[in-house]
Parts: sequence; structure tokens; C-alpha cells
Amino acid sequence: MDQNPAEPDASTAVAARPPARKPRVRKPAAERQKPKEVALSIRGLVKRFDSRIAVAGIDLEVPAGTLYGIVGPNGAGKTTTLSMVTGLLKPDAGSVAVHGTDVWSDPVAAKRKFGVLPDQLRLFDRLTGGQLLYYSGVLRGLDKNAVRLRSADLAAAFGLEDSLDRLVADYSAGMSKKIAIAAAMIHSPRLLVLDEPFESVDPVSSANIIEILQRYAKAGGTVVLSSHTMNLIERVCDSVAIIVNGSVLAQGRMADVRAGSTLEERFVELAGGRRAAEGMEWLHKFSD
Amino acid sequence: MVAQILRLKLLLLANSFRRTPWQIVGLILGLLYGVGTATFLAASLVALRFADVEVSAPIVTVFGGLSLVVFALLPLMLGIDDILDPRRFSLFGLSNTTLATGIGLASLLSVPAVVIAIVAVAQTVTWSAAPGAYGLSVAAAVLIVLTAVLSARIATTLASFLLSTRRSRDVSTLVVIVLIIAIAPLVAVLASVDWATNGIQVLTDIAAVVGWTPLGAAWAAPASAAAGAGSAALAQLAIAIVWLLVLFVVWRVLLAAVLTTPERHAQAKKYLGLGWFDRLPRTPAGAIAARSITYWIRDSRYVTSLAIIPVIPFIMVVTFVVAGMPLQALALLPVPVMCLFLSWSVHNDVSFDNSAIWLHLASSTSGRDDRWGRLLPALIVGVPLVLGGSVISAAIFGDWGVLPSLIGVSAAILLTGLGLSSILSARFPYPAVRPGDSPFSQPQAGGNTAGLIQGLSFFGILLLAAPAIVAAVLGFTINPGWHFAALGAGLVVGVVGLIAGVRIGADVYDQRSSELLAAALKN
Repeated sequence: MDQNPAEPDASTAVAARPPARKPRVRKPAAERQKPKEVALSIRGLVKRFDSRIAVAGIDLEVPAGTLYGIVGPNGAGKTTTLSMVTGLLKPDAGSVAVHGTDVWSDPVAAKRKFGVLPDQLRLFDRLTGGQLLYYSGVLRGLDKNAVRLRSADLAAAFGLEDSLDRLVADYSAGMSKKIAIAAAMIHSPRLLVLDEPFESVDPVSSANIIEILQRYAKAGGTVVLSSHTMNLIERVCDSVAIIVNGSVLAQGRMADVRAGSTLEERFVELAGGRRAAEGMEWLHKFSD
Repeated sequence: MVAQILRLKLLLLANSFRRTPWQIVGLILGLLYGVGTATFLAASLVALRFADVEVSAPIVTVFGGLSLVVFALLPLMLGIDDILDPRRFSLFGLSNTTLATGIGLASLLSVPAVVIAIVAVAQTVTWSAAPGAYGLSVAAAVLIVLTAVLSARIATTLASFLLSTRRSRDVSTLVVIVLIIAIAPLVAVLASVDWATNGIQVLTDIAAVVGWTPLGAAWAAPASAAAGAGSAALAQLAIAIVWLLVLFVVWRVLLAAVLTTPERHAQAKKYLGLGWFDRLPRTPAGAIAARSITYWIRDSRYVTSLAIIPVIPFIMVVTFVVAGMPLQALALLPVPVMCLFLSWSVHNDVSFDNSAIWLHLASSTSGRDDRWGRLLPALIVGVPLVLGGSVISAAIFGDWGVLPSLIGVSAAILLTGLGLSSILSARFPYPAVRPGDSPFSQPQAGGNTAGLIQGLSFFGILLLAAPAIVAAVLGFTINPGWHFAALGAGLVVGVVGLIAGVRIGADVYDQRSSELLAAALKN
């Protein structure tokens, strides 16, 4: 994707700053006069499960109009962080604000501003795809005609036209993911928080979804998404945060975080845990 | 390899004790229940040693055969969580015979198998008076245990294979309900037999047939020997042995088939349009109500609990009629009982959603919308039930004077019950059967709270409806004028209870919404 010209430099974004009024460094002076507002601001987020610390004080600032990637190894705390961001899991400490509205002190106003795709949570899968979209839309306060119109648009965009009359329980994993993303978008939120949106989605559908997200960002929407697929994050996202063991090890513009290598190399270097493939010679002598 | 499968099963059993304390309590209760059943049956069999052969033979044969039927059918009715599913071994490259023997023998290491083993051993005591019969009974004991375990094994494998698709699981629950309904008249017929005078004669007639079927033969062989019919005894033993061999061959063939057959996939059905979502208001509460109704119709967990509701008063009435109560008085029973179970059935409604409840949280659905939406289907079914059902009941009873009481009591039970359920489902959700699981399976995360909440909500409803019930009783005993007091009390208590319950439930829901998801995730 083309670099969004209106994007502030987020590489130095830290907790203490007031919402994004940062000087712009990369673009010509003519474009500097309208700094982007902060779509999502996370400060000092902490979550413990019994004695294990899942999220150990995360600060992030996501500027509006960007595609923001969150990457990390398994168990790094990505899903826990995103659950707290979306108001599904109560943090032990810290605050989350969406376009200036605090998620945990003013949940009703904040939740109106974002759409959510949680990972590993069930859908109401005894509804048909069409019913699920309708249900999501009406719960979000849309009226019937808007829901119908948008359901049809979303179904066409995600290639689900023929599946709207089938139960979500009978969908494949990739189709369930797509209908869930569509349901997250139906109320045209300012911010989309998508946990593993491309998992088990086929390449053609992925490309469609990415295009939808890029057009959405160009129009001023913000997308925060997590993924294991580094190539995809590197190709698609403007900015990225690398989370390991519940802490942010690097964040900022893609080019700054990559620092000359690929995102994958940089990630493996930061995350550690790469082991030399020595030993195991027995594996090379086959048993029959 | 057979030894390794046995060791695996032992390890799995041992590991089931390494869970949370409450799960262990549940497991120990299960064990105690099994041991208790076994002790009772064993004691009965030992006592039969001192009875005449004419008495003990038919009893052992009939109930023995019945126990094998139960043993084979139990896995079909209960939820199936087959920890030794043959498919799990499919990638280890074991020969089918090894696997069939290993899994078959490993099935001996389970609570039901131990129960049947104790019963089989006790059966040898019954026949220990006659040496010939005793010898046969030892052989029969081995046959009984192996037959029971192997038929349960085949049933489990068949069930987990055939019931692997969602739709077939849904259908199976209806089959079980039909069976329950079918058994009720049978119980009534059996209850009508004058057991004290004709009992043994009836059992002897049944045993004459059952003793020659594969399930009863092993039990009948020592009995025949004890009665002096040596050739019959040997023939029955032969039937039992052949049956065991047949079972093993079937098991071996089934295992080979299961290992190489891909999982079944159901044809997806199409549902046109938005269904109930089109018929109800397009508000959040309306959409939640439409979703609930859709689930009541489509989700076998709801279908089962709804289908059971008319069955309960039916069985109660049959039982009371058999016990000699007049049918006329019993006409008053079904409507209040159905209202009780209908309003009680939604007391854990949030847990039925499991983690899908996130959608309500993410869209900050208000507690009021959520509560009313979930109650609406129960009201749609319940209000016509109260009105229509009461009129029919009063007509059968033959006195229109009781109609106000009937409506009052039923309305009080239905409405306060729904109010109470509104509070409890938000405040005390406990693990329920997960979406897509068999309605008869036990939730994975068993808890100590489930029984408590179930009891609390059940008796809470009766307590809240007490004013109407008391007034109705006074109407029957003292003065028919009380019937109108019951109507008034019932409607007032019901409406106030419903509105207050929903309001409190809505507040609780609003405050605890993220805890609700956390509770669902533990399920």
C-alpha cells in the first residue's frame, strides 16, 4: 500500500504524550498543517492471570487512518491486549481510549466507535450468515433498511452471497472468519480491532479483505490487526508493534521497526527463541 | 502393544483425579454411586442363594438380561466423550486385531465395567449351592463381563461415528425423548401387575424367552443347571459364547471400517430470509428475542428442555393414576407444573450462549434489552399456555369455579419464575452444555454451584408463588371465594415479580458484563 501522506511518525510514541500533536518529519512542510488525531491510545495496560503476568504494562498509540499490525509469538499477550482494548476483558491497570473516549469509564460511547473480531470466541452459529449480520447490525443500533443494504454489500465484498442462507455452524473456518469480519464492519465504526483476521482465510479472500481495509483506512478509518504472518503484516501495515512476553519490544513505522532487514528477521531477532538445528541426527537415519 | 493401551487407559483414569477439587468430588460421587449400585445388586444376588430355584432363576435371568441392554444403550443416551476412540490410534500403524484387543480390554478399566464385574461375581454366589451350576456360573461371569464391555464398546464407537454430524446429534436427542415417552406406559403396565401374587409367574414367562436370547443366555445357563436341565444349560452357554465371538468380530470389522472412513459431513440446509428477525421489532430487544426464538427452535439443547416440559406432567399424572389418585383432580396438575419448568428452564440462559455473548458486550447491549429479549420466547409460549391450558384443565376438572385459581397460580409461577431467572442468569451463570454438544452430556467444567443454583431457583419460584398457591388451596378447602383471591394474588405477585426481576437482572447484567464473558470462557 502507498504510504499514507497524512501519517504522523509514531516511532517515538510513548505513554506520557497527549494525543498526537507531533511534528511531522518525513513529509514536506506543505502537508504538515493537519496532524492526525490518535485513534487508539493504550496506557500502562496490565493483566495478570493468577500469578502469571499476561500483559506487563503496554503503551501504544495508533494514529487515525492507519493499518496497524501487532505481531508476537504464541502466548505473547496479543489476544489479551486486544480483549482489554475492546472492553471484553477487564484490565488490572491502565487505560484505553478510542478517539478520546475511555473504554472502561465510558464503555457505551467508546464501544460505538469500534468494530471487533475476537479470536477464539464463538459466534451465534445457529443463525444463518444473513441473520448474524442483521443481529450484529441491529444490536449496534442500525435500522432495518441500512442493515439489509449493508449486508448485501458485505456479502458481495466477502464472496458470501451464496452462503447467507446457511447456518454459520455449517460454515468452514475461513467463511466463519469472513462473516465475523463483515459483522464487525456493519455499523461503519471508526476503528476496527481484528484479532487474527487472516487465519484460515484463503489467499483470494485475504486479498479482498486487505483491499477493503486499505480503502477503509484511506477514508480515515483505522485498523488494528494481529497476525502470525509477517510477510502479510509487512506488506499491508503502515505501522507495527512487536509484543513479546506481554511487553512492547518495538513499535512505530514499518520502515523504522524493520531497520533495514525484513520484518520477519527483525521479529525473530527481537523475540529470541530461535534455536540452531543441531543434534537430532537420529532423525536423518530413517527407521525403516 | 495391548499392555501399552491398558497402561494408557490407567494413566487417563489416574489423571482424571488431577483436576480441580470439585471435579474430583464429582468423580468420587460417581464412583460411590457405582459402588453403591454394585453393592445393592450383589447383596440381592447373594440373598437369592437362599431362595428356591423357581424364584431365583427367573429373577436373575430377566434382570441380568436387562442389565446388558442398559449397558449397551447407556453410551447412546449419555453424551459420548470416547477417550479411547479408535481413530485416535489411526496414525500409529497398529494392526486392527491388536488395536481391537487393546481397546476392548482397556474398556474393562472403567466404573461401569467394575460394577458389572462385581454383579457377575455375585451371580456365582447365587448358584454356589449346586456344584454343576457353580462351575457354569463362573464361566458365565467371564462371558457376562466381556459381553457387556464389548457391546458398550461397539455402541460407543457406532454412536460417536454416526452422531459426528451436528444434525444427527440433534435428531438423536428427539429419539431419546420419544423413548422416555414410550417407556412411561410400559412402566404403567408393569406397575399394574399384582407382583405379590403373580410376580414370579410373570417373570418366569419372560425368562423363558429372554433366557434363550444372546443377552439373557449367559445368566440363564447356571439357572437351568441348578434347575436340573443340563442340556438346556449347555445350549445356553453355547449361545452366550457364540454371541461373544460375534461381538468381537463385529467390533473388529467396525474398528477397521471406522479407521478408514472419513468423518461424515452433513448436507447444509438452507434457510430463506431472516425468519423471526423479520417478524419482531427491529430494536435490540426485538433482535435478541428473535435470536432466542430461533435458538429455541434450532438448537437441540433448547429443543430438548422444551420437549421435556410436557413430558414431566404426563409422567406425573401416569404415576399418580397408578398410585390410585382420581384422574379428575390430576387435571389441575399439568398447567402449573409446565409453567414451573418453562420459567425455570431459562435460569441459566446466558451460559447457553457460551463465549458468543461477546457480541452483546462489544455492542454494549443494555441489560434491559438483553433480559427482555431472552424472556420473550418464554412469554410467547407461556401466556397462551396459562390461559388456554387453564380453560382446558378446568373443563376436564368439571368445575369452572377453579378457573381463577388455575390462572392465578400458573401466572404467578410463570411470571415470578421468569423474573427470578432473569436475576440468576446474570448473577450466577454456571457451566452449561456447550453449543453443538449433546444435550445429555455433562458440561466439561463441572462446578459446585450448578446444583445449588438449580435448587435455589426451583424452590425460589415456588416460594414467590406461595401467596397464590395458598389462596387456591383455601379455595378448595374452605370457601370457593378464595379462588378469586388466588387470581388477584397471582397476577399481582406475578407482574410485580417479573418487572422487579427484570430490573434487578438488568442492573446486575450491566455491572457484571465482562465477568459474564470470563465465566463463559471457563466453561
